[in-house]
Amino acid sequence: MRLQIAWFWLLLTVAPLSVQAQPWEFDKPIAVTKTQGEKIFHHLESAGRHNIAISTDTVAVAWEDNRDGTPRIYLARKGRNSQSFSAAVKISGGGEAFEPSLVALSTNRFALAWEEDARIHMRLVTPTKLGPIFTLGESEAMQASLANHDQQLLLVYSRRDGRYGRIWMQHIEIDGQTLRPKQVCAVDAEPVRDEQLYPTVISLADRIIVAWEDRRPGHTIIMAAQTDNQKSCHFRSPQRISAASPGRSAAYGKGHGVARVALAQYGTGQLVAVWADKRDFREGYDIYSANYQPGNKQLFGPNIRVQDGFGGVAQQWHATVAGDPSGRLVVGWDDKRDGDANIMLSWRDDNGWSDDFAVPGADSAGEQNHPTISLDQEGNLYLAWIERTTIDGPTRVRYLFGKAIKQ
Amino acid sequence: MRIVLLLVTTLLAFSAMAETPHGYPFQSFDKAMQQAKTENKPLFVYFGRYGCGYCEKTNKEAFSDKQVREAYTKHYVLAYVDSESGKRLRLPSGERVTEREVGTRYNAFVTPVFTFMTADGKPLLRLVGVQRIEDLREADSKVQQLLAKSGKP
Repeated sequence: MRLQIAWFWLLLTVAPLSVQAQPWEFDKPIAVTKTQGEKIFHHLESAGRHNIAISTDTVAVAWEDNRDGTPRIYLARKGRNSQSFSAAVKISGGGEAFEPSLVALSTNRFALAWEEDARIHMRLVTPTKLGPIFTLGESEAMQASLANHDQQLLLVYSRRDGRYGRIWMQHIEIDGQTLRPKQVCAVDAEPVRDEQLYPTVISLADRIIVAWEDRRPGHTIIMAAQTDNQKSCHFRSPQRISAASPGRSAAYGKGHGVARVALAQYGTGQLVAVWADKRDFREGYDIYSANYQPGNKQLFGPNIRVQDGFGGVAQQWHATVAGDPSGRLVVGWDDKRDGDANIMLSWRDDNGWSDDFAVPGADSAGEQNHPTISLDQEGNLYLAWIERTTIDGPTRVRYLFGKAIKQ
Repeated sequence: MRIVLLLVTTLLAFSAMAETPHGYPFQSFDKAMQQAKTENKPLFVYFGRYGCGYCEKTNKEAFSDKQVREAYTKHYVLAYVDSESGKRLRLPSGERVTEREVGTRYNAFVTPVFTFMTADGKPLLRLVGVQRIEDLREADSKVQQLLAKSGKP
C-alpha cells in the first residue's frame, strides 16, 4: 500500500511536467466540411502532404472528395479565431481530380495545384475571387507539389518520359489572378532509368531543393537535388537521402522500401526531409528524417528515426512535417500502436526528436489518419486529418488548432 | 542480334519475377474484385513492393511449383498490389484510392503479405513474409475448407 501511495505521488509530480513539456495546448477538433455521409470519401493526399496552409488571418484546407459522384478538389477556409469553416469551394474543373497541393501566399491568398485528367492544373484563390484554372499543356503529368518562391510559385511534378515518370520543376509567375509558366527543367538531367515519383520542393534564400522517390537502384529510395541559386532552373547532380539497408539479405532484396518524402524549412535556412522507411523490415514503416547540410559535399546528413521506441512495434504511415522561423520543427504521422490509427506528433527538442505524442482529439475511436500539418510564425500548430469508422466506410475531414506554449 | 534479344527477354523476365510470379494471371486489385464478384470466386491478394527480396524468394521457390500454380489459378482470382505505388484503383464502394492506400488499409506493413478474401473483400486468411511450397499448399487447403464450411465463395 505504501508503495502504491509512493507511485501515486510520483505520478502527480511527474504528470504536470510532462504536460508542460508539450509545446501546444490543443483546442477541440471541428469539422472542415459538413458534406459527408454514405459513399462520400474525402482524401487528404498530395506529394509532400501540403493540404493545410495559413496566410495572414486565414486557415485553408484542400482535399479531394466525391460528393457529386466524381473525385474533385475542394477548399474550405476560416479566420484564425473562427470556430467553423466556410462552405467548401469547388476548385477543380469537370474531370476526375486528385491530390491537391496547397500553398499560402501573402494577404489571405492561396495557390493550388492538382492532377485532373492526367494533366496538372493550378489556380489562385483570394478572399473574394477564384482565379482562372491554368492547365499545364503536358499530358501524363501527376503528383504536383507547390512552394512559395518569394511570392511567385515553384511547381514540381512527375511526367511520363517513355516508360517512366520523370521529375520536372517549373517556375510560375503570378500576375494578378493569372498564372504564367516560365522556365521548366528536368530536376535530374540524366536520362531517366526508372520511376521518379512524388516530388516536393522548397525555396531557400539562395537555392531551391527538390526531393522525390526514385526507383533507379531496383527499389525505392529518396533522392534530392539543389540548384546553384534561387533563380536557376539548373540542378546539380542528385544525391540519395535515404541510406541503404545495413547489409544485403534476402529480406531486403535489391534494397528496403521507402515512401512519400516531405520537406520543411525551419529556423534560418534550415531544412529537414522526412519519409516512411522500412529498413526495419519486420515492423513495417518507421518515420525517418535527415537534415539538409548546406556547404557539405553530402546534401543531407545521417538518417535519424523520428518516432520513439514504443512506436517501433507499430507501423507508421503518412509523414508530414512543418517548421517555423524560431526553429520549431514538428513531424506528424498516423500509427496503430493503440489498436486503431491515431495522429501522432514528435517535435525537435534538445535531445533530438521528442517522445511520441498522441494528439488529443485526434486519438478517439475509429481510424484517425492522413494528417497534414503547418506552423505559423508564432509556432502555433494547425492540423487536419481524415476520420473513418470502418475500413471502407464514409469519411470526415477534421481540424484542430494547437496554441504554442511559451517554453 | 539473337544474343541481344535473349538478354532483353531475360531482363524483362527478371523484372517481372521481381513483382509477380511467372505464369500466374495476376491483375489489379479493382479488376480482380470485379471478376471475383462476377465469377463468385474468392480472391488471393499479393501485397508486394518494387525490389522486395522475400517476394522474389517466394516467387522463385514456392510459386514456381506446378501444383501451387494449378491450385491458385483454379481456385482464386489473383490480385497484385504494389504497396508503394501511386497507381489509382476504384474500390467496389466507388472510392478511388492508390495501391499504397489499399496496402495501408489491409495492413501490408511488410512485404510480401498474402491475403485470401471472399468475393466481397472480407479477409479469410493472411500469410506474412516469405512462404514455402508447403505453406501455400496448406493455406489453400485451409481456405478451401473454410469456404466449404461456410458455403460461400
